[in-house]
Amino acid sequence: MSHWLPLAVIVPLVAGALTPALAHGRPGLARAWAVAVTAWCTFATALLTSRVALTGPFSYEMGGWAAPWGIELRFDEFSAAALFICVIMLLVLVFSGPYVRRALPEARITWYYSLLLINLGGMIGFVVTGDLFNLFVFMELVAVSSYALVAVGGGRTAALAAFKYLIAGAVSSALILFCIGVLYSLTGSLNMADVALRLATIESPAPVMLALAGMTVAFLVKAGLFPVHVWLPDAHAIAPTPINAVSSALVVKLGIIGLLRILPLFGAVSLAPLYEALAWLGAISVLAGAFFALFQQDIKLMLAYSTISNIGYIVLGLGLAGELAVTGAGIHVLNHALIKAALFLAAGAMIHQSGYRTLHDLRGIGRAMPWTTLALLVGALSIVGLPPTAGFLGKWYIALGALEAGRPGFAVVVLAGALIIFAYLARMLNAFYFRAPSHEEMLAVREAPASMLLPVLVLAALCVLGGLLGRWPVMLIAPAVGRLVGGG
Amino acid sequence: MAALWGNIDYAAFVVLFCIGLYIIIAKQNLIKKLLGLNIMETAVFAFVVTSGMVDGGTAPIVGPGMSGPFASPLPHAMVLTGIVVAVSITALALCLIIEIYRQCGTLEADELKGAE
Repeated sequence: MSHWLPLAVIVPLVAGALTPALAHGRPGLARAWAVAVTAWCTFATALLTSRVALTGPFSYEMGGWAAPWGIELRFDEFSAAALFICVIMLLVLVFSGPYVRRALPEARITWYYSLLLINLGGMIGFVVTGDLFNLFVFMELVAVSSYALVAVGGGRTAALAAFKYLIAGAVSSALILFCIGVLYSLTGSLNMADVALRLATIESPAPVMLALAGMTVAFLVKAGLFPVHVWLPDAHAIAPTPINAVSSALVVKLGIIGLLRILPLFGAVSLAPLYEALAWLGAISVLAGAFFALFQQDIKLMLAYSTISNIGYIVLGLGLAGELAVTGAGIHVLNHALIKAALFLAAGAMIHQSGYRTLHDLRGIGRAMPWTTLALLVGALSIVGLPPTAGFLGKWYIALGALEAGRPGFAVVVLAGALIIFAYLARMLNAFYFRAPSHEEMLAVREAPASMLLPVLVLAALCVLGGLLGRWPVMLIAPAVGRLVGGG
Repeated sequence: MAALWGNIDYAAFVVLFCIGLYIIIAKQNLIKKLLGLNIMETAVFAFVVTSGMVDGGTAPIVGPGMSGPFASPLPHAMVLTGIVVAVSITALALCLIIEIYRQCGTLEADELKGAE
């Protein structure tokens, strides 16, 4: 039992590295292998999550060296995100089968699955590590595989978009490594719990503040918050749609989880100005993202800007720093992952079947692909935050948190963001169901094949269930939220 | 002034870091941007390596006849890992640059904007 934790990180990484050798020239085998490995990871992380729900956080010491000296893997309540990561990755891999057969050159398909497995291993490692330097290493594993996955489809501008993403990502990574170096030279330790203890006794505040500010900025770049989001829309418009689902639902969230990991280290310094700045940046991002989304014709770009808006919600919740608001932020990290994956996969199925990607061209698709369109609408209702769905929960808690903190202005922002998003939902509804098709062949478009439709429908169902059964994740992360708010 | 002279190594890393960042932001050529990134990463590595320095410290090899103080070996291990990461990023970026040049015929960011 105790070895499940390191295995959940190591198995996908090793399996990813072996994929090109195992499945050389047999892309079908690569997919089966990736699905099998990810299914195993889902099982392992489900076991770990049930253990943390029953008995609380637990650690694993790599190589048997005790914590401050050895490398510690720590599974706490926020690490339960690993289960969401595995489930979404599994569905994306199932979906990818028919999609990549058409979208990618045959020689690249094996590499595509190999990179996705490495990406998965990096993400699981990132959420379970208890060591600052390993946080950096896992982050880089995820980042490098993501850069390559953006370019994997080929085409005129794919490499350029990947290069932009690479520069933004590498600069923020260098900043994070620099800040880890500062923290190490201040405290002489890399274990997060140990660093937190030792930072409390540091007397000169300036270098501590430098490390905090640098890390916050760098993680916000990774999360794609509004003023530093420029890499995100390009990378999203060009990458294959299953990759959009992974990067928009999961990879950008690592920036947020990184923030959740490093903020408790700085319990000793006053974080109030930082929280104030985060709340304002989040609020601006909510409105700006939703506003840009409103003017997009391309359905993938629209979803990309909506991600910026939703990252804004999460950062706003973190910035309000009350128990309710941070609960909302934590819940929205998980639920937005489900919603955005559902939306991107449904949009991907439409693009795959019809060959079009703007709202104008996709008119009338509601009749041609009823199930996919229904799933897309469930996802869209959920992202607006209508009550029985998953999106409602996080936004409700964040709005309550704003009122609790005595900042009704931010509650208005939460509501206004939802209203703008509702406007583009109405545009989609209108185009898909009520307008006459722009292209005659739209009437002949057929519903997506089962292996694409199934993941889309499962995710849409999870969007609804995430709202109906929302009490469970709230209860699960409550102790971690308590520690974060109480300690900070 | 004495404080600056005593910490001249830190000042040098900050200057180097800022030079790298400036190149990434200001230069249009993609190869130059990549060079800027490498300068920035080198500044970070140099900073982390020196944080392991101990006054009068020797190589941390424990054996008969060896006595402290020893320099801390951990930052060196970290930087080795960091260098591996930086090399793989550079390799990937160079591949992307080759692909960009093949597709668009130029490496100037302002001309590429027109090509998009």
